Amino acid sequence: MKNLALACAAMMALLASRVSAAPIELGASVQLTGQFANTGRYYGDAYQFAVEKINAAGGVKVGNTREKLNLKILDNQSDVNLSVRQYVQLVTQDKVNFLLGPFASDFVLADSAIAEKYNVPMIQGGGASDQIFSRGYKYIFGTLPPASDYFDSTLDLMGQLKPPPATLALLYADDAFDVSVADGTRKDASKTKLKIVVDQRYSSKASDFNSILSLIKSQNVDAILVAGHETEVLNFIRQAKTLNVNPKLYSFTVGVPSADFRAALGQDANYAFGMSSWVPSAALKDEYFGNAEQFANEYKKRFGYEPDYHAASAVADVQAFVKAIESANSIDPVKVRDAIAKVDFDSLYGRVRFNSAGQINLPQTVVQVQKGKLVPIYGPKGMLEQPLYPMPEWSKR
Amino acid sequence: MQLLWQILVNGVLLGGLYALMALGLVLVWGVLNIVNLAHGALIMLGAYACYYLFTGLGWDPFAALPVAMVLLFCLGYVIQRYVLNLIIRAPMFNTLLITFGFEVVITYLAQIAFSADFRTINPSYAGANFSFLGATVPLVRLLAFAVALALTLGLWLFLEHTRIGRAIRATAQNLIAARLYGVNPRHLYALTFGIGAALAGAAGTLYGVVSQINPYIGSGLTGKSFAIAIIGGLDKSIYVLAGGLFLGIVEAVTALYIGPTYTDVVSFGILVLVLIVRPTGLLGRTA
Repeated sequence: MKNLALACAAMMALLASRVSAAPIELGASVQLTGQFANTGRYYGDAYQFAVEKINAAGGVKVGNTREKLNLKILDNQSDVNLSVRQYVQLVTQDKVNFLLGPFASDFVLADSAIAEKYNVPMIQGGGASDQIFSRGYKYIFGTLPPASDYFDSTLDLMGQLKPPPATLALLYADDAFDVSVADGTRKDASKTKLKIVVDQRYSSKASDFNSILSLIKSQNVDAILVAGHETEVLNFIRQAKTLNVNPKLYSFTVGVPSADFRAALGQDANYAFGMSSWVPSAALKDEYFGNAEQFANEYKKRFGYEPDYHAASAVADVQAFVKAIESANSIDPVKVRDAIAKVDFDSLYGRVRFNSAGQINLPQTVVQVQKGKLVPIYGPKGMLEQPLYPMPEWSKR
Repeated sequence: MQLLWQILVNGVLLGGLYALMALGLVLVWGVLNIVNLAHGALIMLGAYACYYLFTGLGWDPFAALPVAMVLLFCLGYVIQRYVLNLIIRAPMFNTLLITFGFEVVITYLAQIAFSADFRTINPSYAGANFSFLGATVPLVRLLAFAVALALTLGLWLFLEHTRIGRAIRATAQNLIAARLYGVNPRHLYALTFGIGAALAGAAGTLYGVVSQINPYIGSGLTGKSFAIAIIGGLDKSIYVLAGGLFLGIVEAVTALYIGPTYTDVVSFGILVLVLIVRPTGLLGRTA
């Protein structure tokens, strides 16, 4: 009788361990449709790709077994409110173990509150605004470098150009990310000799920049920095051409690294500066993809478009979970949360480790479109390639 | 002073395009009493039609414009004849709902068909400009303005002086009397909606030449068209031109002197003011 009870207990224990051996569920609500679908797809596709690769390599080691990852992606239709409801659903109904993030700071700001409320760690690669990490939340981690530093390397580069630009126009959209960028840029520019002569915030829905461009033209500004969205950047450049606005350089927080941007603008994309926290070079080794260059090639073959830093950042998010779960040797959310705070590994995206607020710190490499190609210009170690500066006037191209 | 002059030129050119965007909406609203919430989506389809004619067949966008108009006319005719006509007697709320539904469906079909990539219609002369009394005038904006002006005047003449145009207006004024004179409202309604859609197609072509296209531009353009329709009034198509120009200039000046983040606040603020003070539009008859 005693033996039977023991056997039963052993059986129960075995069953219980079988239950916990179910795949590790990762959940995310991503912009697969709606106005942000163009960038949102990087996250949907890259999460999927990373999970497949990790599972193909055997999955995640927890204790003595290797668990597979299971990914659940919902489409938030580019609606912040819907994304919040979907994260609640992922946590309370679908009972996912961990959360991956959406694209864009406004979304992450809202969605991270769900992670915090339910104490489920979220690693996200889509929100860079400093606001996300200034609230003392413990369950949110980010793999995009701080928004306030986006133009740092660009300002450094400007100091080395001959002749250096003297006046600056700063334009930014009125959302969380772009306001953070502008605040940081204003602060950093005050340490240089640059004088900010135009400092304007515009509505995120704006499609007409003729008034600002006319103002910039009348002030004869040397350098224009724009923090906005890709649609606005496309309109801005097209309208700068039609109004014959000829600064010595202009740089944009988004758009420039993406192939789509160059395809839409054609020749007019040339000379535009931008930045990327990621350059797909073979020097960035990765456990699952070999290196960043191989990743970029495989990704393009698989999905039919080139990845940019959004995709690489998303892959790093999934990998950070794998590292944290393995080092915690558990899928307990609190233990994994503490392990995420301590991860430190090299990936195709770069070195992944988080500061005390939960954000990564990677340098932004300044990039420029030269003859239709994206060229890395200036990185933490200085000049990589000669920038084309000053930009030729539109009429002389 | 120089800057103000430039801003006014920008505003007028923008206003012409705005007027064309709103023209189809106003026509359909005025005649059929349908506020077509899918109007912006039709503009978007017009832009894509031109984009594919331009990139696929190498047509000049201004040559593609009539083709886009014909395509959109056919689509609009079918939508009205076989869907909207069925509920034309229903309360306005029902037509609002169904056009809203069309907007959603068209937008998502567009994403499936065209992807969410951003597109531009970028002919070689897209960036050309010339100087006029010290102001820089973008060539394509001027062309777009000219086309918008021509189509607005054309529609006005059509409605005032042709048999079909008079029939359309007669139907809007008194359906029973119009029927007694042999007007077939089913066909006429579809014709009107088709013309509205064709105008949206033209607006889309021009929008694609001066701006960028993606499947989601529609709803914002519907909102803008709506504001222009209210400001100009629904009485005469020619008033739309005034509404468009007014809004274009106000936005341009606001962006410069108050700040570009406030253009929507000001334009929709004016919309509310007009609704309170002159509900029939700035130029419309007072009730």
